[in-house]
Amino acid sequence: MRPSFFHHLHPPTIPADQARWRHTLGAGGTAVFLMLILGVTGILEMFYYIPTPEEAALSVQTITYHVPFGGFIRNLHYWSAQILLIVSAIHLLRVVFTAAYSHPRRFNYLLGLALFVLSILLDFTGYILRWDVDICYPLLTGTNLIKTIPFIGDFFHRLAIGGGEACSTGLLRMYVWHIFGLTLPIIILGIWHAFRVRRDGGIAVPPPQARTDNARISRNELVRREVLAMFIVGIALILLSSSVPAPIAPAMDSTPAAIREAASQSAKAPWFFLWVQQMLKWGDPFIFGIVIPFGILILVAIIPYIFPKPADSDIGTWFPKSNRLAQITMGLVSLIVILLTLLANAN
Amino acid sequence: MTQISRRDFLKLTRNGILYLSGLLATGGLLRFLSYAPTAEQKTEFDLGSADQYPLGSRTSIPEIPALLIHAESGFTALSLTCTHLGCTLEPNETGFACPCHNSAFDSDGNVTHGPAVKPLQVLRIEITDDRNIKVFTA
Ligand code: FES
Repeated sequence: MRPSFFHHLHPPTIPADQARWRHTLGAGGTAVFLMLILGVTGILEMFYYIPTPEEAALSVQTITYHVPFGGFIRNLHYWSAQILLIVSAIHLLRVVFTAAYSHPRRFNYLLGLALFVLSILLDFTGYILRWDVDICYPLLTGTNLIKTIPFIGDFFHRLAIGGGEACSTGLLRMYVWHIFGLTLPIIILGIWHAFRVRRDGGIAVPPPQARTDNARISRNELVRREVLAMFIVGIALILLSSSVPAPIAPAMDSTPAAIREAASQSAKAPWFFLWVQQMLKWGDPFIFGIVIPFGILILVAIIPYIFPKPADSDIGTWFPKSNRLAQITMGLVSLIVILLTLLANAN
Repeated sequence: MTQISRRDFLKLTRNGILYLSGLLATGGLLRFLSYAPTAEQKTEFDLGSADQYPLGSRTSIPEIPALLIHAESGFTALSLTCTHLGCTLEPNETGFACPCHNSAFDSDGNVTHGPAVKPLQVLRIEITDDRNIKVFTA
C-alpha cells in the first residue's frame, strides 16, 4: 500500500504507553475531532449567513429558528468551539506537566501554542459574527485596545476591522478573518502539528530502557480507541447541543444611536476574555490589556527554552521532579487566569 | 578566498531574488489590507431649537452620544463616550458610570474612579442665528 498521511499518523505499531488515556487524556485527538465538526458545521452555516451589518443578526436568527436542524447545527458549532478551547488548554497542561515539550519536541510545542492562539481568535471572531446587541462592547473595546499599541496600533486596527467604527463597519473583516484569514493558517499549522508529532517520535513517553512496560499496540487497536473517543465526544456534543442552545440576542439596529443604546445592555466579554476584561479595570489599557496578556503568552512559549532540560527518563511521566519550575510556572499562569475569570464573573 | 564559484553566485542570486520577492509581496499584501475607506462618519448633529432645552435641563442625546447641559453660563455638550476604551456611559446619581470596566465620572466629566484617566470630552457647540443648536464631535 502507498504510504499515506493516515499511515504516517498511524504506524503499524506504537508503544502502548503512547495511547493510554491516563497519559494523553485524549485531549489532542479530541481537539482534531472538534475541529472537523467545526469545519463541517461552519460550512453549513455559510449557506445561510449573510455578512452585512443589516442582515447578519437576522440571518443568524433564520439559521437558529427557521432552517430545519439549523439551531442544532449552530449549537454544535458553538459547543465544539467552546469545548475546543478547554480541551486545548488541557492538552497544553498535559504537555507541560509531563515534560513532553522537551527537545526534540520544542518546535512542535510552539506550533501547538500557535494553534491555541488561533483557536481563541477564531472563537472571538465567531462570537462577533452574531452581530447582535451583545457583541458591540467586546468588539469596540477589543479593537480600541489594539489602537493603544504604540506606533503600529492604528495599522493593526485597520488590519483587523478596516478602520471606521467597529460596531457599524467591522463585520466584513471579522467574517473574512473568521472563515479564511484565521481558518487557513489553523488548517495548515494543524496538519503540520500532527505530522510533527510522529516525526518527533510519537507522543512523548520515557525512552525504552526506562519504561516499565514495553508492550506495543497495533494500528487497529489505535484506530479502535480513536473511534471510541470520537464516539463518546460525539454523543456528549449531541446531547449538549440538543439541550443547551447557543447564546443569541436581539439584532442591533445599525444606526449608531441605536447601536449604542442597545449595546449598553451587555458589557461582558466572552468567557475566554473575561480575565483580560477584569485586568482592564485596573489601569492603563496598553499595560493590562496588551503587555501582560502577551507577556503571559511569551512566558508560556519559552518554557521549553529557559528551564532546565527534563531528565530523559522523566519525559512523558506525570509531574516529574526534573521539570518542577515549568510545572510551577504553568500552574501559576492557569491559576491566575482562572481566578481573574471568576473575579470578573463575580462583579 | 575572495573568489566565489559560479555555482555559489547563482545560488546567492536565486536566494536573494526569492527573499526579495517574498518581502515585497508581504509588504504589498499588508498595504493592501490596511486601506481604510474614509467613511463619512457623522460629526455634526443638529439638535433643533434651543428653546426645547430649558434652563437647568440635562438632556441625553443618544445618537452622539452626549449630554446637553443648559446652565446659567449657557449650553455645554459633554461626550458620553468613555475615555478608557470607548463604551457608552450610563448616567447615575453622582455622574456617569461605565459598564465595561467600572470607570466613573462626576457630572462635570471629571474622573472619579479609574481605569479612565482623561476627563470626558467637551464637545463644540454652535447656536445659529435662528437659535438652532449644533454639536460637533470633530
Ligand atoms: S471603556 Fe469605560 S471603563 Fe473601560
